[in-house]
Amino acid sequence: MSLQDTPKKKKIKVPKIVNGIESEVEIEVDDVPGGTWPERSSLRLLNHDLPRVDGPEKASGRARYAHDVRVPGMVYARLYVSPLPHARVKKLDLDAARKVPGVVAAIGLQDEPKWLGEPIAAVAAESVEAAEDGLRALAPQLEALPWAVDHAGASRPEAPRVAKDENLGKPETNGDEAKARGALKASAASITAMYTVPIQHHACLETHGVVVDYRGGDEATVYCSTQQTHGFAGEAAKELGLPGSQVHGLNEHMGGGFGGKFGLGLEGQIACRLSKELKRPVHLMLTRRDEFLMGGNRSGTIQTIELGGSAAGDLLGMVATSFKHGGIGRGSLAGQPYIYTVGDTYRAVRSVLMNLDASRAMRAPGHPQASFAMESALDELAYALGVDLLEIRKRNVKGPESWRNEAWKRQLDRAAQEIGWATHPHKTKPGPATGTECIGIGFALANWGGGGRKDCEVEVRIERDGSVSALCGTQDLGTGTRTYMAAITAEELGLPLAGVTARIGSTRMGNSVGSGGSVTTGSLAPAVKDAASNARALMADHLARVMNLPAAGFRFLPEGIVNDQAKAPTVMTWAKACATLPAEGLRANGKWVDTLQTSGAPGAQAVRVAVDPGTGRVRVLHMVSVQAIGLPLNRLALKSQIQGGMIQALGYATSEGRVIDPVLGLHMNANFEEYKLPHALEIPRMTSILDEGDTRNAVVGVGEPPVIPGAGAIANAVANACGARVRELPITPDKVLMALGKVV
Amino acid sequence: MSKGSDRDTDGDSAADLSRRRFLRGAGGVAAGGVIGPALLAGGARAASATTISPPAALPATEELAGLVEIELSINGTARKLKVEPRTTLLDALRTRLEPALTGTKTVCDRGNCGACTVLVDDEPRYSCLQLACDLRGHAITTIEGLGDPTKLSVLQQEFVAHDGQQCGFCTPGFVVAITAALKRDPRASETDIRAACAGNACRCGTQPQVFEAALAAGRRLAEGK
Amino acid sequence: MKSFRLLNPTTLDEAIALCADPKGGVTKLLAGGQDLLTEMKEHLAGPDRLVNLKSIPGLDAIEAGAAGLRIGALATLAKIERDAGVRANWTALSQAAASVASPQIRSCATIGGNLCQRPRCWYYRMEEAHCLKKGGTECFAYGGLNKYSAILGGGPSYIVHPSDLAPALVALDAEVTLRSAKGERKLALEKFYVLPEDGGIEKETVLADGEIVTAITAPVPVAGMRSTYSKFKERDSFDFALSAVAASVVIAGGKVTRARLCLGGVAPVPWRVEAAEALLVGRTLDAQAAREAAEAALRGAEPLAQNGFKVPLTKTLIERALLSLAG
Repeated sequence: MSLQDTPKKKKIKVPKIVNGIESEVEIEVDDVPGGTWPERSSLRLLNHDLPRVDGPEKASGRARYAHDVRVPGMVYARLYVSPLPHARVKKLDLDAARKVPGVVAAIGLQDEPKWLGEPIAAVAAESVEAAEDGLRALAPQLEALPWAVDHAGASRPEAPRVAKDENLGKPETNGDEAKARGALKASAASITAMYTVPIQHHACLETHGVVVDYRGGDEATVYCSTQQTHGFAGEAAKELGLPGSQVHGLNEHMGGGFGGKFGLGLEGQIACRLSKELKRPVHLMLTRRDEFLMGGNRSGTIQTIELGGSAAGDLLGMVATSFKHGGIGRGSLAGQPYIYTVGDTYRAVRSVLMNLDASRAMRAPGHPQASFAMESALDELAYALGVDLLEIRKRNVKGPESWRNEAWKRQLDRAAQEIGWATHPHKTKPGPATGTECIGIGFALANWGGGGRKDCEVEVRIERDGSVSALCGTQDLGTGTRTYMAAITAEELGLPLAGVTARIGSTRMGNSVGSGGSVTTGSLAPAVKDAASNARALMADHLARVMNLPAAGFRFLPEGIVNDQAKAPTVMTWAKACATLPAEGLRANGKWVDTLQTSGAPGAQAVRVAVDPGTGRVRVLHMVSVQAIGLPLNRLALKSQIQGGMIQALGYATSEGRVIDPVLGLHMNANFEEYKLPHALEIPRMTSILDEGDTRNAVVGVGEPPVIPGAGAIANAVANACGARVRELPITPDKVLMALGKVV
Repeated sequence: MSKGSDRDTDGDSAADLSRRRFLRGAGGVAAGGVIGPALLAGGARAASATTISPPAALPATEELAGLVEIELSINGTARKLKVEPRTTLLDALRTRLEPALTGTKTVCDRGNCGACTVLVDDEPRYSCLQLACDLRGHAITTIEGLGDPTKLSVLQQEFVAHDGQQCGFCTPGFVVAITAALKRDPRASETDIRAACAGNACRCGTQPQVFEAALAAGRRLAEGK
Repeated sequence: MKSFRLLNPTTLDEAIALCADPKGGVTKLLAGGQDLLTEMKEHLAGPDRLVNLKSIPGLDAIEAGAAGLRIGALATLAKIERDAGVRANWTALSQAAASVASPQIRSCATIGGNLCQRPRCWYYRMEEAHCLKKGGTECFAYGGLNKYSAILGGGPSYIVHPSDLAPALVALDAEVTLRSAKGERKLALEKFYVLPEDGGIEKETVLADGEIVTAITAPVPVAGMRSTYSKFKERDSFDFALSAVAASVVIAGGKVTRARLCLGGVAPVPWRVEAAEALLVGRTLDAQAAREAAEAALRGAEPLAQNGFKVPLTKTLIERALLSLAG
């Protein structure tokens, strides 16, 4: 290709992420042959089980997170956040706080908090104990103002207004209601049921926060726990009044995000303000209680589903009337019908505003809520029609992309096989609620995009001493980014995994997508491959000059570098080859290549439970996932990612949910005692299968699909076991006993 | 919502019983009512207490107040640090040592999540619920004392091999808790392993891999490898 | 936590004298600290002084033998859980100790602290809710979120007592020894706890100012006695009891000659059910007898709006616990 040729352009669809929520946009890219991944059978590192390269740091407690940063002169900051949903601050003794020994700053932030958890004041001190003393010295007095914190309280006509708009938003509708109702009438059977999902918390083990290291002058460093390092540092620069180029963002390790850590946040703004005023480094990490109140959440929903079908099990009509509970925000809910095709449908969705913190993106925003309702309704209809629970699903995946429909059917069959469906006695009717262990099985589907886009800039450096690094200012949430960056580069250069060091988490490195929407892999991996490939080409060019051999003949193998066109075949070690480089080594950049990634991550899950009808105890025995993932980069990390998603769904289904007392306006379970995550004894046997039918030779991101189907599958399994249909999460023993009619 | 108190029980209506209980006890110190003993307090003492004469001379009792310098044995080394009586071991490790030992994490600070687990005399404890001053004379082991990236313990090696960590924030707590269990019995079964880390939270969902790693490490330790 | 002075006495008499010393300010005893420190972090307690009991040697001995059981108040739950003598002859206690919290808590939590711990009611545990128990005028759980609250013995406070050891020890006829400057007193553990309707509102026990629990004793079990503690948790890994049953029976000649039944997690005190016990004596311990005992135990239950499920749950637990002892 000569310099005069202008590459052809082509249009492609790519995901666009705003605060972790994915939509799609069309962009123009060069239409040149991009490059492909090698044949799977020839892969040496990729598509294998690779131990995480940062495993040793993490397993030995040496990995440093924002929470762990200590710099000279650092002070500890704490927030006083509103314990009430709406209040006026009558008294706040900032002077008393400032007089507390060790306190260096106390600032007021808000006179009339309008949501539970809104920051009212901040204190900074030389020690964590003094910061706490400073908070206590504020001796705040609040006057409660009218609030709305639950569905009934917020949606009634006389409800106190949460914001300028009415609490109960206008319905967003889709479809033809008359037609849908006609189809319901014409159905052989139809069901109507209301499904309720509470607000769920991200519960990242590392809370939100930052260390802002500004000491006066014209530059600063921010150590952030974030899913978007460049963006975070840019926002911090604005707050500090510094040019973006003068603020170095560092994010080497972060303790979980799950969608909740996008943007500087109020806590980040406050930390910047304190650091700017004090000209000292400020460590502001939310306490666990503050994290529950203001760290974000997955919106709750109430969905009334009317679903009707033919005698054979075709879904004919659906009306879905839903409410989203996103605090002072609009909340999120994926559209019904979720995944399955229904003949005539109508949906109306309304937001209900409340004096609670706004919901944020949380791993597949809006999808688990929609899935729970859809999958539950589907089982309820199947029972009404007397149709097989597995067959009704295979029958109704009729979406516009036939490859996905085929994938779901194949995945459902595989999941059914793994879970023991063939010999299960209750395929069209629930089992009886007798004995102490009723066994049930439930199914549900997942759907996602997972493609990438062009915003990652990767650099690969080969040094004269043979060391190789791959750099990008991206983040690793526990997703294994570092490992596949090293693996892709090592694969390309014929090196062992340990021969490449991945460097991430600094704004001095190339730009990166924010890690949301499962776009990281699809955006970053192609750019890494491109950079590694360019590095290899540059190395070959260099060796060609040094050895007077054609560049195209060089091959980079684990045993060394060979040239097919050399007269006498020689193997040159990597070390020897690099020793011929100039002192500054070799640098190559890479950018996104759209042919190396693709979109589309359908999946299916099956769950087996045991229900004890005497106590209401639900034990989840086995969870199976069959997931399409394109080309696996690291099978071990994929297994962890998929299992991790299923375990989050397990918690969602069986033990988690925010509890607010509507009268007192208090968050009742802002702690890990009463907000119950699954621990070791709750973890079932887990089977994660990578869909062998998916032979696409391109990478797809799968952070999100594994969390979607679990709750619906578990609810279905519980009902299947003994007839206890619980329509409100979490499915705790009290609800099972009530569903069994044992509570008078 | 129906209130169970509307049911009839043993003659008295339950509502009567409840109201009676409420009236009997409500309002605190009612005349004629039975008074529970007052909380231990300096000034406000229950009227019925007998006068106690303090002993003539109290034996010397150590009293710690304000900022005190103490010595703790951490990972086999005597460390001097300045703490307040209220300083927890967790805060002492993370904020009062130079350099700070930040491998032990602050996650809930209430003894609910296990991320702050350390060993005290080989037994696992939540360091957020230990007063630093209380641990003088005990052997404290933190995650840093079990190994480092160049020389990992057997359990840490298996964590790496079996992917027992994702974001890694819970990992030190799990490693410490399981280290204690395997020390007690390297032949621990999966049931034993699960029980050993039942007090540890993980949000990324590493548990299945953690169990695998723990069992693999146990096998090696039992065989002396 | 608020600042405090930490005192480390080396004798019990010193400790008692310190507690009684009015010049010391608000004083609290520190044993394992697994409950007290959480209260202090939530500012539910803000003592000026902590009197440490761990600096006093000899308070943690476990003697489990032919003379009966004597456990020093500072014995840790882990030590009790691992004691072979306790497991063999006072099984319910062993099982109860093993069921508490998590390994990290059990390694330093003490039996004395476990018996004296404060309730978990989420209104009580929030500083912002000035409830009846903390000197306010209303029990917020009564008309509020009461899924975890009492179904028996409640009113005017509806907490449930959170101790696992207490119901197990009641079923083993345990006594508690208290020491103060006035001397020692020993009482049945059942009498240590006070119902809210009897004044046990701002406190749950009869422990007086300047009084310390020093030991827990239980008699040698009657020949052939079997005991069990069954704890039902919402989250198996780490949780307080949603409902719990401690039971002990002696069966001779195929008939029950002696029975003790004590419930946990359902009442403000460990809830002994003598009516159910009486019903069992002289009968074969079969499914019918177990069912009748369960019915009798829950007769008079007054569920609140959200905790009615505890009635069928507790009945199931009672039936199963009793049948597990039938042999």
